[in-house]
Amino acid sequence: MSETTISALLLTLKTASLSTLIVMIPGTLLAYALARYAFPGKDIIATLVGLPLVMPPTAVGYLLLKLFSTHGLLGPDTLGFNPDILLTWKAVVVACSVMATPLVVRTARVTFEGINPRLEVMARTLGHGRVKTFFLYTLPLATRGLLAALILGFTRAVGEFGATITIAGNIPGRTQTLSTAIFTAQQVGRDREAYFLLAVALLVGFAAIMASEYLARKGPGYLAG
Amino acid sequence: MTQIAPLQMHFRLPLDRFALEVEYTTTQQVTGVFGVSGAGKTSLLESLAGLRRGVQGVIRLGHDTWLDSSQKVYLPPNRRHIGYVPQESLLFPHKNVRENLLAGAGRARKNGQPLEALFRRVTDLLDVETLLARRVDTLSGGERQRVALGRAICSGPRILLLDEPLASLDVGLRYKILPFLHRIKKEFRIPIILVSHDPVEVQALCDELLVLKEGKIIDRGAPRQVLTNPEIFPVASREGFQNIFPAIVHKHEAEISLLRMGEADSDIEIVVPRVEASPGARVLVSIAAYEIILGTRRPEGLSARNILPARVRSVHSAGTLNLLTARLAENVPDLVVELTEHSCREMDLRPGKPVYLIIKTASWRIHHEE
Repeated sequence: MSETTISALLLTLKTASLSTLIVMIPGTLLAYALARYAFPGKDIIATLVGLPLVMPPTAVGYLLLKLFSTHGLLGPDTLGFNPDILLTWKAVVVACSVMATPLVVRTARVTFEGINPRLEVMARTLGHGRVKTFFLYTLPLATRGLLAALILGFTRAVGEFGATITIAGNIPGRTQTLSTAIFTAQQVGRDREAYFLLAVALLVGFAAIMASEYLARKGPGYLAG
Repeated sequence: MTQIAPLQMHFRLPLDRFALEVEYTTTQQVTGVFGVSGAGKTSLLESLAGLRRGVQGVIRLGHDTWLDSSQKVYLPPNRRHIGYVPQESLLFPHKNVRENLLAGAGRARKNGQPLEALFRRVTDLLDVETLLARRVDTLSGGERQRVALGRAICSGPRILLLDEPLASLDVGLRYKILPFLHRIKKEFRIPIILVSHDPVEVQALCDELLVLKEGKIIDRGAPRQVLTNPEIFPVASREGFQNIFPAIVHKHEAEISLLRMGEADSDIEIVVPRVEASPGARVLVSIAAYEIILGTRRPEGLSARNILPARVRSVHSAGTLNLLTARLAENVPDLVVELTEHSCREMDLRPGKPVYLIIKTASWRIHHEE
């Protein structure tokens, strides 16, 4: 197995984990706000967050490319420094985060919507403030659903291709990930490498679906302690 | 005995079809909120608990102001020190019984309550020691309500708000929870607001009853007096008026028990189905007003075992029926008898007239043993 294959796998693990981490916390909070509160612009926010799910990944990638380009809204000219994102591993993280967001937010939102808000009210009457109630009652009740959101987000990040190749490229040893490496190996006819990567992808996908099936199985929304 | 902190409510809350308008101050320990469903009972409780936005006015408990909209004071529910027991018990499914009971323990501790003693007292009082390690989804309806009550009390509340705590239980079970509520009333000298549409429950527990109709208080007073009010009586219940009074077990005879009416050892003795309580024990007895037969002479050759001499105290009309109040003795509660207008006229029932109350043994219901 070549060094570039190993590095593609390691990079995938690193970028997928990082982007899941980046998306989980704000995604969970946003999902909670969408599930529980009415506020102006709620529908717009929900739509914007959901967009990457239905847009062509290359289109999202192109949008990001424009955003981070020299004169873009998040480019060096506007920011006054160079975040050095495009064509680096950071671009992979950006692409994966954006593409994983809709899945995470949707799954988390449905989870929160499934929790009886009156349970939170009870926690309030027992002397807990909003923040404590969220951490001590809402989150523990949502563990299953949030874990499923995490798994879905992670696997979406592992499989990300279109947006990644647009803004990070497919540079072996630097920005090449599992999915772009499969593409390259197949293009140049390195079959053994392609098979190996395919096996890894199958394994990850299989484990993820199995886990989310288990989590979604009819039962309480929390993990029995 | 510590004084009950006065509760002052003076507020208005617009609802869908009408506005809830409450003008009420009480120093009674247990206040019942009575009315048909949709009258605003739960809204009243939620306003007190701080769960409703848009409440305008003043709410005070003792020296604490929870709401004063003119001063922009609005305490959130977690700072009102309430124990709230909803109809559906709402136990936390991710916690076992012990953890549920201790869910509000932080506040009790902060308020300087000896938590361990409180916890032991509550588990003992509500008879939940054997349930502590259980998951809440394995509990029966009655057990769930007891745990919900215990959880509220273990949070060291200054007031208990009970929203039809027995409504979700079937009748048999309902009256098994009553004694627990009774014990709580006696053990914890804190005010209790009890929302209910069960005349038995309110009579058994409440010191004062207020009746809500479309958001307005249409009557308040002692439960018996309110429930026999001709205006209230028709809404009170399909079952009609229930007489409820305490009694003391006197002795047992085969399949029956003899009780003495009232708290003190009166000489009014009644025959009831066998009670599983030793002589001297206090019980709560009820009899529906329509199950009492009235005679103007002592009947003979009757199968009914209870023939109680009494005197008519008052007769008043309640819609199509008349409610007659009969006095048995000075130291026992009067009994209310339901009669048709026709019988009243026929028998010439006027205040002061001696009568006999005839009651079958099986008609009495024994609600709880304290």
